Amino acid sequence: MLEACVFATILFGFFGIIFKQNLLMKIVSMDVMSTGVIAYYVLIASREGLFTPITSSTPTATDTAIAYADPVPQAVILTAIVIGFSIQALMLVGTMKLSRDNPALDYRQIEKDNTP
Amino acid sequence: MPNFMLTVSIGTLLLPFVLGFLIFLLPRFHKLLSLAVPLATAAFALLLFTLREPFSFLLLDNFGVTLLVDQLGAFFFLTNAVVSLAVLSYVWQKNFTYFFYAMLLFVHGSVNAAFLCTDFMSLYVALEVSGIAAFLLIAYPRTDRTIWVALRYLCVSNIAMLFYLVGAVLAYKANHSFAYESLRGAPPEAVALIVMGLLVKGGVFVSGLWLPVTHSEADTPVSAMLSGIVVKAGVFPLLRCAILIDELDPIIRTFGVATALLGVSYAVFEKDSKRMLAFHTVSQLGFVMAAPAVGGFYALTHGLVKSALFLMAGSLPSRNFKELQKKSIRPSIWVALTIASLSISGAPLLAGYGAKVLTLKEVWSWQAIALNLAAVGTAISFAKFIFLPRSPEAEEHKPGIWAAVTLLLSGLVIANMVYLDAYSLDSLLKAVGTIALGWAAYWVFFRRADIKLPRLLEEFENLVGVMGLMLILIFWMALA
Repeated sequence: MLEACVFATILFGFFGIIFKQNLLMKIVSMDVMSTGVIAYYVLIASREGLFTPITSSTPTATDTAIAYADPVPQAVILTAIVIGFSIQALMLVGTMKLSRDNPALDYRQIEKDNTP
Repeated sequence: MPNFMLTVSIGTLLLPFVLGFLIFLLPRFHKLLSLAVPLATAAFALLLFTLREPFSFLLLDNFGVTLLVDQLGAFFFLTNAVVSLAVLSYVWQKNFTYFFYAMLLFVHGSVNAAFLCTDFMSLYVALEVSGIAAFLLIAYPRTDRTIWVALRYLCVSNIAMLFYLVGAVLAYKANHSFAYESLRGAPPEAVALIVMGLLVKGGVFVSGLWLPVTHSEADTPVSAMLSGIVVKAGVFPLLRCAILIDELDPIIRTFGVATALLGVSYAVFEKDSKRMLAFHTVSQLGFVMAAPAVGGFYALTHGLVKSALFLMAGSLPSRNFKELQKKSIRPSIWVALTIASLSISGAPLLAGYGAKVLTLKEVWSWQAIALNLAAVGTAISFAKFIFLPRSPEAEEHKPGIWAAVTLLLSGLVIANMVYLDAYSLDSLLKAVGTIALGWAAYWVFFRRADIKLPRLLEEFENLVGVMGLMLILIFWMALA
């Protein structure tokens, strides 16, 4: 169920990029898509358990029985979040520059004006 | 020895980034600082050529970063070093700010990282950093057009990388590892997502049609950098995976042939010199991918010749072939253009010949037919450069290309010595025959042909839509 929701988010984002006419909305759709991808990593990490994987220096018998979350996907997706955020910021700056000459930010118009 | 190699590899990896940030602190020394980097990479590449066996390293624990150095990588490092050196010498006398130099170093460093790592997460980081730095390089002139082209590039590559991320976690789910080997036994959807992401990033086949506009509208040195090495950061992991995993090999080879034909069929009808070069990047990457084991040498020759051609095309008085035929060009630049064009068409005595012979020896028979066809197409489109009229009174080209072009062209001649076994009688005859056939076809038909191919597939929305179609295609290929 959760997995279906995550994939729906990714697909909504993807189709948003294709069907939205406004450049700003395209970029927001891209963010929706990346939210879906990040959620999928978290979902995969919590397959076998939800607990924070911290062990004490004196392990007890209960420690091994606890269902820990998988730390690896969570750790790597942090990098992707940061990269996604910086790309988002860069693209918004680019859009701001473009909006000076194309206040409507209609992507078809921009593409027509700027392709040889 | 392994310890020494580990230190050297990590040093090469870090140096561009350290010096790149140092440029921001010491803007006055930007030229000297950036010169050190390609020299260090070149030394590293030469060191790799002396290795007898590949070394692989696992940093930290089980899930740490993995690196691999071998001879295949050495070719790519050398390409990166020489192309960067040539681009640096091109921008040396011109008015580029320290920001441009720092971004060049970041592109250089991230591409190096992509050649060094063998796990999907490090590769993701390397590709995204190269994407961001390339975005800033393309948008450097700050005109509306370059900003739009850069935005389009970043958006396409970021969407592709999002699909790639999903593929990477699916591979992790199957094998509990992000290493390239985890693709073995991974479900077909993981293979489809990862391969599609890399194909888009590498500018291959229909999904790579973002490339012509991006590479032709960017500034001259940036086009040389993008076509020379940045696309290879996407192609190299595909070669690695194809060598590691037998099931992937046919998929990569098929895409290699398909993109070789697609790129060339666009290029022969192209009237704009920079767009034609960009389409040839799409096509030549196909030759690299058609025979993964020997792709390194082809990538080296393509990197050298394509960056030289972009630098020269950028300094011609016009971009349009029709206008160039009226205006005519200087004999000096014509000689250099002809050498480069002959090399890419596969003429003997230049590195392109050896690379073509080596690649054609390694491919399967059905691939060889298609690649020979693509080679004829290459000869046809580069005849457009070779048969340009020339006169000493022609308009002066823009200055500052000679150091870069000399470096790249002498690289072609030297690289030619690497594979002397290529000089057998039938290979020589075939190469000459291919070029003669191409030139004949040029004079008979293509010189006057006025066909404009539609640019439908190069529109932004279609580029994104094609990604979905490619996913389905690769999924079925992986399933079969």
